[in-house]
Amino acid sequence: MSAVTGAVRGAVTGPGPATAAVPAPGAGRRVAAAPDGGGGVEIRGLVKAFGATRAVDGIDISVPEGSFFALLGPSGCGKTTTLRMVAGLEEPTAGAIHIGGRDVAGTRPYQRPTNTVFQNYALFPHMTIFENVAFGLRRRKVGDVRRQVMEMLELVELTHLAQRKPAQLSGGQQQRIAVVRALVNRPKVLLLDEPLGALDLKLRRQMQLELKRIQTEVGITFIHVTHDQEEAMTMADTIAVMNLGRVEQLGAPVELYENPRTAFVAGFLGQSNLLAARVVARHGDVVELSAEGNRILMPAARLSVPGPDVEVGVRPEKVHLGDLGVAEEGWNRIDGTVVDASFIGVSTQYLVRTRQDEELTVFTQNLSTHLRRVGEQVTLSWRPEHTFGLETGAWERATAAETAS
Amino acid sequence: MPVPDRDQQEILAQLRRAGLSRRTLLRGAGMGGAAALLAACGVKGTGSGASSSSTGASSSSTGVSSSAAAPAGSSASGAATSGSSAGTSSSASASVPSVADRSDTDKTLNWSNWPEYIDVGENNASDHPTLDAFTKETGIKVTYTEDVNDNNQYFAKIQPQLSAGRPINADLFVVTDWMAGKLIQLGWVQPLDHALIPNLKNLQPALMDVPFDKGRKYSLTWQSGLTGIAQNPAALGGKKVESMDQLLTDSSLRGKVTLLTEMRDTVGLTLLDLGYNPEDFTDEQFTEAMAKLQAAVDAKQIRQFTGNDYAQGLVAGDIAACLAWTGDVVTLKADNPDLQYVLPEAGYTLWSDNLVVPILTPHKKNAETLINYYYQPAVAAQVAEAVNYITPVVGTKEVLAKQDPETAKNVLIFPDAATLSKAKGFMELDPDQEKRYNAAFAKLSGA
Amino acid sequence: MSVAAAGVGISSVERTGGPDGPVRGAGPDSAGPVGSRRLTPYFLLLPALLALVVFYVLPTLTLASTSLQTGDLQQGYSITWHWATYGDVLTQYWPQFLRSFAYAAAATLFALLIAYPLAYTIARRAGRWRNVLLALVVAPFFTSFLIRTLAWRQILADQGWVVSIMKSTGLMSVTDWLGLTSGRLLATPVAVVLGLTYNFLPFMTLPLYTSLEKIDPALLQASGDLYANAWQGFWRVTWPLSLPGVVGGTLLTFIPAAGDFVNQQFLGSVSETMTGNVIDSLALTQRDYPSAAAMSLVLMVAIVVLVTVYVRRSGTDELV
Repeated sequence: MSAVTGAVRGAVTGPGPATAAVPAPGAGRRVAAAPDGGGGVEIRGLVKAFGATRAVDGIDISVPEGSFFALLGPSGCGKTTTLRMVAGLEEPTAGAIHIGGRDVAGTRPYQRPTNTVFQNYALFPHMTIFENVAFGLRRRKVGDVRRQVMEMLELVELTHLAQRKPAQLSGGQQQRIAVVRALVNRPKVLLLDEPLGALDLKLRRQMQLELKRIQTEVGITFIHVTHDQEEAMTMADTIAVMNLGRVEQLGAPVELYENPRTAFVAGFLGQSNLLAARVVARHGDVVELSAEGNRILMPAARLSVPGPDVEVGVRPEKVHLGDLGVAEEGWNRIDGTVVDASFIGVSTQYLVRTRQDEELTVFTQNLSTHLRRVGEQVTLSWRPEHTFGLETGAWERATAAETAS
Repeated sequence: MPVPDRDQQEILAQLRRAGLSRRTLLRGAGMGGAAALLAACGVKGTGSGASSSSTGASSSSTGVSSSAAAPAGSSASGAATSGSSAGTSSSASASVPSVADRSDTDKTLNWSNWPEYIDVGENNASDHPTLDAFTKETGIKVTYTEDVNDNNQYFAKIQPQLSAGRPINADLFVVTDWMAGKLIQLGWVQPLDHALIPNLKNLQPALMDVPFDKGRKYSLTWQSGLTGIAQNPAALGGKKVESMDQLLTDSSLRGKVTLLTEMRDTVGLTLLDLGYNPEDFTDEQFTEAMAKLQAAVDAKQIRQFTGNDYAQGLVAGDIAACLAWTGDVVTLKADNPDLQYVLPEAGYTLWSDNLVVPILTPHKKNAETLINYYYQPAVAAQVAEAVNYITPVVGTKEVLAKQDPETAKNVLIFPDAATLSKAKGFMELDPDQEKRYNAAFAKLSGA
Repeated sequence: MSVAAAGVGISSVERTGGPDGPVRGAGPDSAGPVGSRRLTPYFLLLPALLALVVFYVLPTLTLASTSLQTGDLQQGYSITWHWATYGDVLTQYWPQFLRSFAYAAAATLFALLIAYPLAYTIARRAGRWRNVLLALVVAPFFTSFLIRTLAWRQILADQGWVVSIMKSTGLMSVTDWLGLTSGRLLATPVAVVLGLTYNFLPFMTLPLYTSLEKIDPALLQASGDLYANAWQGFWRVTWPLSLPGVVGGTLLTFIPAAGDFVNQQFLGSVSETMTGNVIDSLALTQRDYPSAAAMSLVLMVAIVVLVTVYVRRSGTDELV
């Protein structure tokens, strides 16, 4: 990755007129900020109704300028519709969108400081790669088309394909062209609609890194729509998890993962163990709960509902698997029986059944060769600060989200 | 045999005149006539055109007909043409191939005719009362097809099969005089057995010795008609078109005139208008007539050359005046009573359509039975009343005088002597003339 | 992507993806009984080849041989390599050739101008009415070609409403002045071109529809996103991508229109006969089979040449 980035950076930041066209104020190569404001996007009370159904049901999002922002959710959650409203391809039913501080209501796509990378790239099949990239420049009658296009092709190392037709390119190459075709117009915001959806897994991971690199390179705001939680977490600074037309939770990937505030997020992002619990007492910023007769402690800030009936959760990799009765002092603990063990290589995945017949998943790193056998009695333990609390019924919703992810 | 009345006697005289002008007589003798004469003298002829100056005629028996494929010999028409005329027919049809006649066992007949050329049922246009009665009487089932729209086109349709010695679908069909003559020359139609057509006695005597088929050995008239000028007074604005010259030159008619694709009708009337005789004209006179027609075409006077399809435009008024056939106009008057029909002073043409039996049909006897049936005045009257053309059957007018006096009085259906005195036929053309005149005429109509 | 639920991409790393590019198959199935495999395509082609020989090659050869014959019906025809027939028909009938191509070209242009918006609307805007509209485009085929053409005779009649509207609005005097009409519509070049346009409209519409319908709507959105206005989007994206349909439609219209004679016969006058009328007359009325055959071949060759030049110039071979 670094080698690739270095090579490209070397290529584009070389001396000569290349630098003049792309002024680089401050660190890195940034697309010149337009005088009328930056590339931050503010979405307030956005609604889109198709007949009786509300595809987008009142969302508020703030995308800071220069950030890589992901709209994540299962299909039909409204993420693409939201993106298309930002692009100007759909008219909002209600709500406002500000880009760079300017209300874009009623403006056509080409009047907005945005460009879009379409789901299936939408490259013009009858034009060469060069002409595809040049399309926007030519429409705006910008000078120096050739240099700008070649510079963009260099950015993605595809200058040698300039005279080919899109159909002669592989999926990954087409994807890169779709990105630079939009980028060459120096939008303040680049909108990406499931840009990697058509690629196979290996290529997709490669392209995730590449897109992130490009974003770092050009420094503009990226709004990226995806249903792939791994993709969102790999690339985005901030993720808005959407479900049923609403934003479930918005935050940095780590925050979403470590402290999901809704059952949907807990299930959609990674995997969660959830147990029914009851708030017993509050000691300052620590809440004491009871689950299956076990005393559970957790930070009050990580409990998203008042209770008293809640569900407490913990990520499988946070759980320590010890001999029966063995656990660190001060950790939450619960006893159970190993009912399944799968050796995956880097880790082993256990399924432990508690006395109340709840099944918990545990991932343990294979630091020793000691493997627990099915039927073995064990004690599960985890730090109180790894515990999160959700509303009751979260388990079903999380399971549904897990299936959807 | 009923005695023809005076008018009809005149028709006969007129038709004789039309068919047998001096020059035509010679030509007629050269073509079909010679064989008949020879046969009558008991001398065996070798073909239909033995003494003709035209090489085309003499070659017809060897070059085109299928004698090679189906050697005919004297037995060729023996079965079909037994009886009193056997000698005549065998000599005239030495090269006509034949097949065994199955008429006695196979009581069917395929008859091809022009559209709207027979009586129709009151409710159903595909129902023909005279044909139904015929089937009832004889047991012969007739398949009646209206697929003759144009002599040339019908010829083009049957030519490939007949020239290859294969039978066509029709056992009996109807074509105009000159085409009937051409088919006889080519040896593609069979001699008729007059013994099976006793009603032949009802044929207008003048139609017996037509130039293309003297003695009516091969053909019998179905209907005759006149070609004159039909007009729609509404579209003329009170004017009346009296002559061919006016039709071709009156600029108030510009683009509202149609002529007929039948060269003999259009050119015939033009020749008459120029004072020439269509039964006997020279190449120069033909050229002059063509020039007159060409001038009218160039002046955009002429809208189109048509077959029967002038009818729609004439009734609607798109066509103000046109060359038209009597029967059509009488019928069209039912749609538009204002339509007028003028027979030009300078003269007009008289033509007939004829029933012929093609070679190789196994139903010749059935065809002859049908011809005999339609030569009854009562049956002919039914047809005449429906199609409004001139019937060849003597006694028809008397029948109609009782049933439908109005039709019987119509001079376009039963022309009087004065009308017939100006009616002309068209001279027989040798193949070379035929080709040149046709080409010239086709060019006139833009093709 | 439920795999990810089993841990952040732990298990998925091992999964092998395809290479970055189309897979070139040298699979095991390419080996096999080589002989039969090689011949199979030819066997499959056989019916088509047979049909081509029977319905195209043989008739064309017959036509060619007929065109070099001389003779007449009485004496029969024989091949005399009489090439002069070609010269004769060309010198005599060149106006009809020119007229045929001019009328066919005009009809093709008008059909394109009518069919393009029609096909575009059906393909892009019709929504659930699409099939109904498509059925309506094809609906005229349920009536005979002749009947439909004859119906135009009624509509364009001198006493009909079209002519009276044209006369009362003064349009007729304009078209008369332009030499297109002469106080009437029927039996004018206008009527012939109109008839040709009408009769071949579906042949223009359907290929256009097919190619327009295939265009991904995202391409137009992309062009809009890339600063193209509606016109530029059409001209730079929709039009070039619909060119296969345009070429197909114009060929399907022009070729039969150039050889048509029915529209001229029913709607024209003696002053605008086309090649088809001449061939009809030569073959059926004058029975000059050699000239008719020569005429047909000349028409055929002229069309092939025109079409070849057209397809080359439109560059559609690159598009498909």
